[in-house]
Amino acid sequence: MARDKIYQEEDFPSPLIQLWHNFRQSPVVMIGFGCFIFLSILAVFSPIISPYSPIENHLDKLLLPPAWDNKGDISFLLGTDNLGRDMLSRLMQGTTLTFGLSFIVVIISLIVGVIIGSLSALTTGLKSSFLNHFLDLILSIPSLLLAIVIVAILGPGLSNTLWAIVMVLIPQFIHITRNAVEEEFKKDYVLASRLDGANSFRILSYSIFPNIIEKLIGQATLAQSAAILDIATLGFLGLGAPIPMPEWGAMLANGIDLFYIAPWTVYLPGLAILFSVVATNLLGEGIRHALKLRKEN
Amino acid sequence: MNLLDIRNLSIKLLTTNKPILAVDRVSLTIKEGEVRGLVGESGSGKSLLAQAIMGVLDDRWQVDADRFHWRGKDLMRLSDEERKVIISKDVAMIFQEPMACLDPTTTIGAQLEEAVSSEQLSGYFWEKRRQRQHEAIKLLHKVGIKNHDICIKSYPHQLTEALCQRVMIAMALARKPLLLIADEPTAAMESTNQGQIFRLLASLNQLKNMSILLISHDLENVTHWTNTITVMYSGQFVEAGTTEHIFKQPYHPYTRALVDSSPKANMNIPIKSRLMTLPGSIPILQHLPIGCRLGPRCPKAQQACVKAPKVKNYHGHQVSCHYSLKEDY
Amino acid sequence: MLLLTILSFSLSFLFPGEQIINISGQIHANPEHIELIALEYAKHESLFSQYFIYLSHLFNGNWGISMGSQLPVIVEVINHLPPTIELSMVALFIAMLIGISMGSQLPVIVEVINHLPPTIELSMVALFIAMLIGIPIGFIAAINHRKKSDNVILSFAMIGYSIPIFWLGLLAILIFSILLGWLPSAGQMSLLYEIKQVTGLQFIDILLSDSPYKWQAFQNASSHILLPACVIALAPATIFIRLARTSMLNVLDTLYIKAAMAKGLTFKQMIYRHAIRNAMVGVIRDVGLQFANLVTLAMVTEVIFSWPGIGNWLIQSIYQRDYTAIQGGLLALSCFIFIVHILTDFIYATLNPLARETRNGTR
Repeated sequence: MARDKIYQEEDFPSPLIQLWHNFRQSPVVMIGFGCFIFLSILAVFSPIISPYSPIENHLDKLLLPPAWDNKGDISFLLGTDNLGRDMLSRLMQGTTLTFGLSFIVVIISLIVGVIIGSLSALTTGLKSSFLNHFLDLILSIPSLLLAIVIVAILGPGLSNTLWAIVMVLIPQFIHITRNAVEEEFKKDYVLASRLDGANSFRILSYSIFPNIIEKLIGQATLAQSAAILDIATLGFLGLGAPIPMPEWGAMLANGIDLFYIAPWTVYLPGLAILFSVVATNLLGEGIRHALKLRKEN
Repeated sequence: MNLLDIRNLSIKLLTTNKPILAVDRVSLTIKEGEVRGLVGESGSGKSLLAQAIMGVLDDRWQVDADRFHWRGKDLMRLSDEERKVIISKDVAMIFQEPMACLDPTTTIGAQLEEAVSSEQLSGYFWEKRRQRQHEAIKLLHKVGIKNHDICIKSYPHQLTEALCQRVMIAMALARKPLLLIADEPTAAMESTNQGQIFRLLASLNQLKNMSILLISHDLENVTHWTNTITVMYSGQFVEAGTTEHIFKQPYHPYTRALVDSSPKANMNIPIKSRLMTLPGSIPILQHLPIGCRLGPRCPKAQQACVKAPKVKNYHGHQVSCHYSLKEDY
Repeated sequence: MLLLTILSFSLSFLFPGEQIINISGQIHANPEHIELIALEYAKHESLFSQYFIYLSHLFNGNWGISMGSQLPVIVEVINHLPPTIELSMVALFIAMLIGISMGSQLPVIVEVINHLPPTIELSMVALFIAMLIGIPIGFIAAINHRKKSDNVILSFAMIGYSIPIFWLGLLAILIFSILLGWLPSAGQMSLLYEIKQVTGLQFIDILLSDSPYKWQAFQNASSHILLPACVIALAPATIFIRLARTSMLNVLDTLYIKAAMAKGLTFKQMIYRHAIRNAMVGVIRDVGLQFANLVTLAMVTEVIFSWPGIGNWLIQSIYQRDYTAIQGGLLALSCFIFIVHILTDFIYATLNPLARETRNGTR
């Protein structure tokens, strides 16, 4: 009884756990996070889960309305399109294409962009000014325009779409990484490690990266939602995935002609795109908000 | 007569976990023509108190007091807006970093003209406008700025800090206040400029009989320019009395430590000896001690200090301590 | 600008097919003809001189011949970029002056500005709508921070930002043109009205012409532009809402607002006189960046609404693999965006006295 502590022991959780606590506080963000996880699982497992093959034609059941309509059939839950292909399986496979592709695109451009960005932040002088101007130039061209031009060079097709969007997203990541690293370089703790004798590479990996990684993750979610929209737009314009593949934008372009008689072929893929973009944006907003709260506390 | 009479004012911060008592039962009185100093370390809640008097705190802070009288009128019963109307007519405030307190995208002249209250003007629109400009120039002269042309046309970032502070004082004088609250007016300046500002404040006090509440953590300046002093620590009331008394015979251990730590009071200590300080530092808001908040650091703390001490009054010199140093004198 | 021409020059090498054919556009030429063109474009000499010859061809207005129509690309650009900048014709002239002094490609800029009208018109109207709706709502959201309306506005902004533009366009056509029949769904103006093309800018042409149906033509043109402009304006409006809200929140937190409140101003006076001006300063700086996004959206919307602008033309030429046209279109569009960028920097410097002091161009 003698040595009672006057103050309660306050345990300070690590920054990551603090982030998770802040993140958890908003229910809307948790819903978005759940949807994101759902979409990712769907993207990975859709070939196994979907009831029918996405390119299989059921020629006896063309243009069936969704199951809640009078003329619909419960075995084709969301109806069929003009070639008798089941909408539900097409949408699920489309998750792999649109959503999964955007994820891969973001990962690749994140890695490449961060490497180039941090290296360029280390250089100074003529090389850096050249890179700066080059980057300004690329960034001034809107991303979709650049992607369209690159696809025009390479020709349409799924892998070309991937490379086009990767090449469009990389400058954005380079720009963000460069600004973040340069900002951190001016701070005193980097000066302290430099005085300790660390070379640039070590400073980068030990001191700076852990501090900018959250900013990068926030930017990555933004980039992913932009990538989903860009992939869908390219698919809509006919420059993305080839025809039979169930990419959401291409499905929408397919359904335009049947707009009046079969509106579900148009609004279902659109809803899917909206859903995935909203989920990604909610996730991104949640991360950024949690970061801000953590900084304030 | 007492201009401002506050008894047991508390300010609570409403956070998500539980409310934090940032200012704990502080009493303050200001007479007409008096220069009162409010002394305390950063974090002692002096700025909060000043802002609570002015009524510029936002919704997160909850203010209540036993007594809040202004010139005899009870303000606690009124709503926030009415209180603000009465106070803003007679009380003005100047802040710590004057350049940051001025709108960076408007000229000084425009901001000064805004401060001039329209009740003092008369006539039609164009006459009022010219009168406003005239008033603004007069105000600048009052604070000692002779060449007003350059000043009126420039933007805040083109002036120095001291000049901006003079402009702030001019804006404060526009309403002819009875009380001027100066919240660390010279913290951002060099000492020569500090002297100028204090002289200006002193002259305003003498010529216009304007009371001043000078908030500062710089004990030397405060003791030179004030009549009475109130000392606060970590949101609690510590001591109040005339400057001379507080400086020569501090009753509270904290005031004693403050006075001892300033070199001017320590002309007599032997050379190469340590300066007197209290160990530790001011407690953070999340870990406020119960009772007297100086407890963990006070050299005279004992069991009774777990309960907050009551204010004792010795001929106008008030102390809030269980073990005050009165018996030493 | 220089780099843009380098980019489009290199495109001719990157596009599949013979480089000579890509850069000049003559697909039906026989071998002697090819030799002649090769001489003209100095193919046998070093890359550097090839590039300079390309630049000189650009300056002379010789942009090559479009592969699809076999008309000179310049003529195609003139035909497809006409419509009208309604609100910013004067602003564009100012931008033109600045454009001249900054770069060296004088004739290119002049020609491009004269031939970008429908896209300019559409994007300017959309920008105007987006700013008009987005910025006040953002301010209102910031003033009611931590209250319910703030959350409502934010969630609406989030959803608006996530809607794919082509889907929204199709839905808009479905609801407004087909179900409700209020607004027309395609084209720039009904064919009934014959308006002489003077400047290429539709609204100014209408005002300048002396047809007896001037007012109806004006109404007709506005009803045609309304739906596409609103569809384009949605996503940028949500971004403006967010920008304006952040900017206003930052301003409301500053010391001078608190000092102004202590000075005795009422809340409303303070908002109108001080807060809005300072918040706008923070917003205007990012308007230029948003414009690139807006033009991209305009391109896709032009395809849906069959609007005769440069985006539609560019996408058609991509379908037809018309490489010279793509080069020209890319250059024109990027120049346009760049100019609007500079213009907004200019406006920003006017509003913010602090920024006038600094002399650096890019960040």
